[in-house]
Amino acid sequence: MLRYDVIVVGGGHNGLVCAAYLARAGRKVLVLERRERIGGAAVTEELFPGFRFSVFSYVVSLLRPEIIRDLELPRHGLHILPLESTLTPLENGDYLGQWNDHDHNRRELARHSVRDAEAYDEFGLMLHQMARAVKPLLAMAPPDPTSLSLGELFGMKRLAEHFQGLGARRFNTLTKLLTMSSADFLDEWFETEALKATKSASGIIGTLLGPRSPGTAYVLLHHYMGELDGVFRAWGFAKGGNGSVSAAIAGAAQAAGAEIRTSAPVSKVLIRGSKARGVVLEDGEEIRAKLVVSGADPRRTFLQLVGEEHLPDAFVDAIKRFRFRGASAKVNLALGEAPDFTCLPGRGAHLRGAISISPSVAYLERAYDEAKYGEVSRHPYMDIVIPSMIDPSMAPPGKHVMSIFVQYAPYHVNGGWTDARREALGDTVVETLSQYAPNLKNAILHRQVVTPADIERIVGLTEGNIFQGELSLQQMFFLRPVPAWAKYRTPLSGLYQCGAGTHPGGGVMGASGRNAALQILGAA
Amino acid sequence: MSKAIVIGGGTDALVAAQMLARAGREVITLEGNTARDEGWVPPKVLRELRLEGLKLEWPDPWLTVPLPGGGRLELWRDMARSVDAIRRVSEHDAGRWPEFCSRIARLARFLEAVYAAPPPDPLSARFALRARRLGALGLADLLRILPMPVAELLDDWFENAALKGALGAAGVLHLLQGPRSGGTAFRFLHHHVGCPPGVFRPPRSNIVELLHRLPRVELQQAELMRISVRGGAVAGVVLKDGRELEASTVVSGVDPRRSLLELVEPGWLDPELVRALRHVRRRGVAARIRLELDRSPGFSALALAPSLDYLERAYDEAKHGRVSRQPYIEARCEGSRMEVLVQYAPYGVACRGLLEKTVALLGEHWGDAQPQQTEFASPRELEDSEGWPEGQPHHAELSLDQALWMRPLPELARYRTPIEGLWLCGPAMHPGAGIAGAAGLNCAHAILGR
Repeated sequence: MLRYDVIVVGGGHNGLVCAAYLARAGRKVLVLERRERIGGAAVTEELFPGFRFSVFSYVVSLLRPEIIRDLELPRHGLHILPLESTLTPLENGDYLGQWNDHDHNRRELARHSVRDAEAYDEFGLMLHQMARAVKPLLAMAPPDPTSLSLGELFGMKRLAEHFQGLGARRFNTLTKLLTMSSADFLDEWFETEALKATKSASGIIGTLLGPRSPGTAYVLLHHYMGELDGVFRAWGFAKGGNGSVSAAIAGAAQAAGAEIRTSAPVSKVLIRGSKARGVVLEDGEEIRAKLVVSGADPRRTFLQLVGEEHLPDAFVDAIKRFRFRGASAKVNLALGEAPDFTCLPGRGAHLRGAISISPSVAYLERAYDEAKYGEVSRHPYMDIVIPSMIDPSMAPPGKHVMSIFVQYAPYHVNGGWTDARREALGDTVVETLSQYAPNLKNAILHRQVVTPADIERIVGLTEGNIFQGELSLQQMFFLRPVPAWAKYRTPLSGLYQCGAGTHPGGGVMGASGRNAALQILGAA
Repeated sequence: MSKAIVIGGGTDALVAAQMLARAGREVITLEGNTARDEGWVPPKVLRELRLEGLKLEWPDPWLTVPLPGGGRLELWRDMARSVDAIRRVSEHDAGRWPEFCSRIARLARFLEAVYAAPPPDPLSARFALRARRLGALGLADLLRILPMPVAELLDDWFENAALKGALGAAGVLHLLQGPRSGGTAFRFLHHHVGCPPGVFRPPRSNIVELLHRLPRVELQQAELMRISVRGGAVAGVVLKDGRELEASTVVSGVDPRRSLLELVEPGWLDPELVRALRHVRRRGVAARIRLELDRSPGFSALALAPSLDYLERAYDEAKHGRVSRQPYIEARCEGSRMEVLVQYAPYGVACRGLLEKTVALLGEHWGDAQPQQTEFASPRELEDSEGWPEGQPHHAELSLDQALWMRPLPELARYRTPIEGLWLCGPAMHPGAGIAGAAGLNCAHAILGR
């Protein structure tokens, strides 16, 4: 008798979601996490005494509502606080604000362009419809278009019917979103540069593409698919940082009987007779189980944990072609006082929302230009939040933590990442931001800079890609991670994948973990 | 039988006019004779017009690529000869060339079939069945390659920079995108349609000569002022000299935005369609130079695009509204006459010194030859002389979101417009963009209700 039915490799949020669903279905599950803490890239760490940070991922929106419901995450401690605005400081000293409050938002947009204020609601409605059109696909194991089996043909037929059901108009808009650049798509709606830039920035997050590159419009939609409390595109913080998301899921898994071991790095998947039969830890311990589910990314799973020799050549080639190219970095600051923005002085409501350094599409595009030839952007795009403004438990009284998402900092930087380069990136970020908030420099008590190479080293995400693989059209849906293997299965019997490298991809969605679990339960 | 007026003299308009005349309609063509012999002609066009003697021509070698540090890479129509040539720069790439060519050719055959018919309904069982015939590997290739950057496709297969640059250029021809932009692999595939495996440049043909051999339809050398519409239906056209011609059918081979927003009086179209038409992208990016040398330059087709990064940097400047300082140059010769494409020269930007620079860059490769005559045309000049909107020969950029059933807009993709009796048949219509005659043929079929 085996002690475990399933071993989940990796205690990131997808691995934990998968484990929770399997445990609730009565499986004996063991989760093995390499680090001393669970959560993967969704962790809260007290980097400096009294200052707690969501070190990597830093906001919540895309986490699937069915997961929150099924796993009763609020009961396990998940509490989400809404982010209510986005402030874009401009180079001319003005700013553009986007507010959840409808009237406030309209007045602010009209200050820049009456036409854009008019178009804004219609644009929101259109994206809402598109999010609705895509939503059923998120919870689906993608059918295999290359297979001739009856089940797959039926799946493709149902997919076609879903799209037909949208009507020609919505289907065409969806096709445009899939194929256009976010800048071109937004050009059709708006004229205010800062508005187009800030919106198109959602289209470049996590990918080494510029806003004028086709394919980025979909990433924009991907970031609109968050639903919090039934509201599309709402973004929020988890109280206590993103580690609380992982903790809540882990709590649900453990309550259902799953066992979680930290500091338990898996070195190999145990394979006998072309079947996965368990894992071997780095210290040599063998743990056997009927099934192994890998939450690690496709390259790590297949080329490192499994090994090429156990897999068909064509599959190995396809996995090698799967692209990562991480381009995002994080700078985490402990501040003695809140930043004071020249464009909107004081400690207003804007500090409780996101702050986006994206004054124009050309600014973002220039930042990308440098990165595609292997340089860090001299004037990077930044998405900033100050969690302590909403959740005082994150910093000592009167002090603050600031989380800065930075792009582009390419993994394949010329000359490779060194300590000097890391600090230079931190300086660039602080310098750029100080142009908008001059008190920042003197307010910094501590600084942590996380490069893509650091993300890879610490969390194990290949090339530091925050989505476990680029979210480009050729790597999505039934092509993610490779054609014919997008249903969470692998060429090895007994081995499944449940990470964001599978459909529908990253962004702390949890959908990959849930879909994988449902596939496993359905297959048994 | 009611009269039909065909506007514009491109190959598609000529084909549409001939098809309508053959069906017994009285046809008048206006603004006529700008047809060019570029691109592949689907066999269906020849069959239906009973045209014989079509010649598709590629230079051989179809491309000469100068190598850094001297020497040339020559790519031939003969696969084995290309493999030998590539082996001299990369053993690895030579080994992969035949398989690459055959896999890409298989996808191009699929597009050939799609291009010979009106745009497919992507959700129809028929389209699914056709795609299935590619087989599992072919279908996976198709789905993966269409949205890809051509740079990624080539990086998957090859290592030599010169080879990748020369091939990648086919992915950005007449497009305001760089090889690292998504969708450029589709363009690479598009220009391969109709070509023998291993040839990645569109052919020249004698289609215009063949079309002119057919019994002529009446050509009025008059400039058009507007298309008159009564009660939502076409009534005829008004010419600049004041004459009015009545017709119940008007087929426009000029670009859709001009056809519907300039030639038709405002008010007949839904404002949403007007807005969508204004957003059809048609940005010209290439200047044209015609040269007469005192002798043959020693190559038949030459591409100066030494690497994918070179192309991408050339694009970077165009993206920010400047002419590339180091442009991508492609020259094609017949004897001592040469036509040169220079990209990127964005529409509306002054091309100061671009002619001299191009001649100097090419001069390094044509030995002792001396240019006798030069003629330069910027995209703006091409707009005036060729009728290409913003200097874009495809009338609407061929990008994935303006292709197939989205070309130029989903609402117009079936050649029909909301104005009864007004039809569109130019390069902006599926398949268009350098595929000669197919849009005209499909449009005529739609008009004739076939």
